[in-house]
Amino acid sequence: MAAPTELFCWAGGWGLPSVDLDSLTVLTYARFTGAPLKVHKITNPWRSPSGTLPALRTSHREIITTPHKIITHLQKEKYNADYDLSARQRADTLAFMSLVEEKLLPVLIHTFWVDAKNYVEVTRKWYAEAMPFPLNFFLPGRMQRQRMEHLQLLCGEPRPENEEELEKELYQEARECLTLLSQRLGSQKFFFGDAPASLDAFVFSCLALLLQTKLPSGKLQAHLRGLHNLCAYCSHILSLYFPWEGAEAPPPRPAPTGPDTEEEPYRRRSQVLSVLAGLAAMVGYALLSGIVSIQRAAPARSPGPRALSMAEEDEEE
Amino acid sequence: MLVRLVLHHPYPQAFLQMCNLPIKVVCRSNAEYMSPSGKVPFIHVGNQVVSELGPIVQFVKAKGHSLSDGLDEVQKAEMKAYMELVNNMLLTAELYLQWCDEATVREITYARYGSPYPWPLNHVLAYQKQWEIKRKMKAIGWGSKTLDQVLEDVDQCCQALSQRLGTQPYFFNKQPTELDALVFGHLYTILTTTDELSEKVKNYSNLLAFCRRIEQHYFEDHARGGISVRLS
Repeated sequence: MAAPTELFCWAGGWGLPSVDLDSLTVLTYARFTGAPLKVHKITNPWRSPSGTLPALRTSHREIITTPHKIITHLQKEKYNADYDLSARQRADTLAFMSLVEEKLLPVLIHTFWVDAKNYVEVTRKWYAEAMPFPLNFFLPGRMQRQRMEHLQLLCGEPRPENEEELEKELYQEARECLTLLSQRLGSQKFFFGDAPASLDAFVFSCLALLLQTKLPSGKLQAHLRGLHNLCAYCSHILSLYFPWEGAEAPPPRPAPTGPDTEEEPYRRRSQVLSVLAGLAAMVGYALLSGIVSIQRAAPARSPGPRALSMAEEDEEE
Repeated sequence: MLVRLVLHHPYPQAFLQMCNLPIKVVCRSNAEYMSPSGKVPFIHVGNQVVSELGPIVQFVKAKGHSLSDGLDEVQKAEMKAYMELVNNMLLTAELYLQWCDEATVREITYARYGSPYPWPLNHVLAYQKQWEIKRKMKAIGWGSKTLDQVLEDVDQCCQALSQRLGTQPYFFNKQPTELDALVFGHLYTILTTTDELSEKVKNYSNLLAFCRRIEQHYFEDHARGGISVRLS
């Protein structure tokens, strides 16, 4: 039998099965279609086969990283949530996905990674706490820089005086996009009737991240809370497809318990190793420079150790 | 209200003519620098300048002309979504073909983009623009796409548009809307300039009929030289 298909994705937090938008989309789609995936929820992107998350390792040992391509692969493997859609509904899927990608996604990235308050108090905090040492020192910063660059390329270079205006415009368009989604959903359970499709996975992941996370600066969140059918849509999907994760109300301090216990032995081990390495370095230096010597020091060297013994005291402190 | 229009694409012209507004088209090589946001097309009305299609539509709406008043909420949502699809797929595909496909770049784009400038400025500016576009393509995930993949994406987009249009004269039945203007503009550009993309579009007969209908109705009636090219 071929190796099972494995999915590597970011771990859960904030009451959601995953904190990362792309990982959440893929997870949701997999749940919708009941695809038998072996899911590895990790907090260290370097342990993923491609170096980034999410990543899918197929049964033929091929690695796929973009969410669109992962979903296409699953559809080819007969786990197709769009199978029953009419041609017109498929066209609508393409159109609405473009709408969300153009209008909502940049603002989501901005809310979580560029807005100073949110980034420091929520995003960076989670990633720094979840990632193992020493990645948590530089990886969140690097992720932020990548996303900022991505945003700048998408929205054009803002001139300094226009930056605030540009931001206002972006948020205005995102609010409009949310309203449009709400109008299109109406009172239906899913976008195309009673069964979920790939568009639902995509939209759900955007909305869930916005709704569930406790953001200190949440202008878009406030607007979304006003669109009741979208809120009901999110909680419906969460309770139906992610019952145990959705049931855990996010604690006031978003400390991820799952990945923490998993990483415990590794964290302890790396801490012990780093302390041992430090000790070995100090002892080695002391021996090599003659501050501490094992055999009897030669007469010519005797003033040396005495003068250096003060340095030794300083060092041992 | 006489509108002076500076453009690279005919869709705002189509839109404005659908609103029955008198316009004068001006083609300028430094259009990008004249525009307040750095993007074409833009319109010049009296002493106001408005750039990009979205704001132009809003501006015209504020003056009392709008094409989408008759649509209900769900239809308006669909219209906006399809407009984004067209922008996302067709515009990016056109840019890709113009700037990332080596053959086209060498033969057509460098010459056309750099033509108003003396040597060596023409090479420098063209190269700089190409580098900028390539960076943007990489950011949106198109950097690693081959020409075949891009053509397939265009095909998917055209299929979606064709299915949405069906047998109706316009996308939202009897009356043209901003979406019709946008789709016409892009398809017109594709059909009259590039070969590979136009082959994909020609597979969908209802889209071809749609373009011809708009061209006949709004352009040949106004007897504008240079726009009425045979679409065959």
